[in-house]
Amino acid sequence: MAKILQRMGDGRMVEMTEAEVRKDIEEGTKDAAGRAKVPPLSEDEIKHISDIYTRPERIVSVEPGNEVVLSHDEGTVKINAGVCGGAGLGIDCGRMVASELYERALGADIIEYGHIDYSYKPIRPILADERILVERTLLVTTAPFLYGAMPNLGLYTQPEGPFPNPTELLNKGLIKEARESGEGMVEQAVNDIVYIASGIYEAGADAINLDTTGAFGDLDFVAALTATERLKKKYPDICIEMGMAGEFILGIHGAITYDGVRLAGLYSHQQVKLAEKAGVTIFGPVCNIVTSKSCAWNIARVITFTKACVKASKIPIHNNMGMGVGGIPLNDTPPVDAVTRASKAAVEICQLDGV
Amino acid sequence: MKKEQQELLEAAKKSIISFDADKAKEIAKKGLALGITPAVIISEGFVPGITEVGDLFDRGQLFLPELILAAEAMKAGTSICEAALPKSELKEKKKVVIGTVEGDIHDIGKSIVVSFLMANGFEVYDIGRDAPIANFINKAREVNADVIGSSALLTTTMEGQKKIEEELKEAGLRKKVKTIVGGAPCSQGWAERIGADAYAENAVDAVIKIKALTGLS
Repeated sequence: MAKILQRMGDGRMVEMTEAEVRKDIEEGTKDAAGRAKVPPLSEDEIKHISDIYTRPERIVSVEPGNEVVLSHDEGTVKINAGVCGGAGLGIDCGRMVASELYERALGADIIEYGHIDYSYKPIRPILADERILVERTLLVTTAPFLYGAMPNLGLYTQPEGPFPNPTELLNKGLIKEARESGEGMVEQAVNDIVYIASGIYEAGADAINLDTTGAFGDLDFVAALTATERLKKKYPDICIEMGMAGEFILGIHGAITYDGVRLAGLYSHQQVKLAEKAGVTIFGPVCNIVTSKSCAWNIARVITFTKACVKASKIPIHNNMGMGVGGIPLNDTPPVDAVTRASKAAVEICQLDGV
Repeated sequence: MKKEQQELLEAAKKSIISFDADKAKEIAKKGLALGITPAVIISEGFVPGITEVGDLFDRGQLFLPELILAAEAMKAGTSICEAALPKSELKEKKKVVIGTVEGDIHDIGKSIVVSFLMANGFEVYDIGRDAPIANFINKAREVNADVIGSSALLTTTMEGQKKIEEELKEAGLRKKVKTIVGGAPCSQGWAERIGADAYAENAVDAVIKIKALTGLS
């Protein structure tokens, strides 16, 4: 049987037969459906993904009229990061110019402005500077403008922050102490997010992005939900995008709830319901890549999770598609064959509003 | 194996999944009284229990606090069995030095791996996050480690894992110590490229690989 070039989750090229690609898709959807307890993909959907992943063309696309909104999280940082050995493109320009590049040269429908630290906590002492830069960038751009950063509750743990690290306390068997420490972190993070988001919103930003929510598990998620709720009360018209960190919420606290729902273990179709309730405007589910499996296996998982999320959601879904997420391999610059295949498959089957 | 013995091994497994340390101790004592060897109680009772806990954790059906309770139940049950082992069968615990490399303050994944390793009977030395390369080497030398595990969550910090390989060679320890890498940007290909002995995709995989590296499986 003829062999077709395929990619693995770590970006390696391998040769597979059409039957092997299909088998990977079937196994991927079965794995995701079993984990999230959602329906697996139908025969037609499996065939559609298989068709996309076995085409010989280097790039694929949706048909005209089926395009979706494209945004870039942390975009302004990725252009210039790398100058000092970072993981960006290494083009030495400021964030204002980077925003213009994204809008005018790279086709971004929504631009996101972020600081190199990309976490709310370190923005607090430099908020005044950030407000000035946001105002100036708004004067030279027209696309919807998000200011984004991560709740990143890890930064509230010692030595970077004031709280003992819950994961270290847990490893010492100190469950009660770990939970109390985590609850303190949440309170402080919510205060920081609301303070910073208020300042940036009042400087003119169209929206606030809470990116990589859940990176510190259920504590991170409850902080993002609570901050959203407070911001919506304060500014009823504020737009808030919430992008996630993984396919389910890791239980570091394990018992913490929002609106009476235990957060640990929630998959994206359950996460989005709480996000809606808190007042989130756009939700970005995430499914991380498994590097030892093929991209076909990975995209089947992504689509199985995300399709259920779209179905459950009443708000727009912008799926995270990029390095290491959304069925795209772990390359610093994701290969175009993998990006376009994953994007086409996800947009067409999940009926996404954006990527 | 008699039905009574099989039921007991099943109960040993359940005691771990239900995080019941007292039950695990009771079952261990009962099993020994029934004439089941300590090694069998551990390998066919408690180990399948902690393996299932790992699987449930991996699927988002069980969380860190429960994992810790399961680890404590495992420790309670296995300590009774180990005390009953003949001295000739008593094996020294394998030692793992683990940390997140310098410049990288992400430590959740590393901490979860620590929990899993402890639950599976390893002696773990967690040197924390943002750990200078020298700390990995010095700690490994100090405790006579079997394995060094390093975590990196950034493409900019994963170079630290390569430096561990280089500095282990310079210190003349590379043949003595096995190495394993993990973290979001890492892969089997990266492990091979820098000369690490293994790559772990997640915490469950880390336990499997470290057991293999240390001759426990």
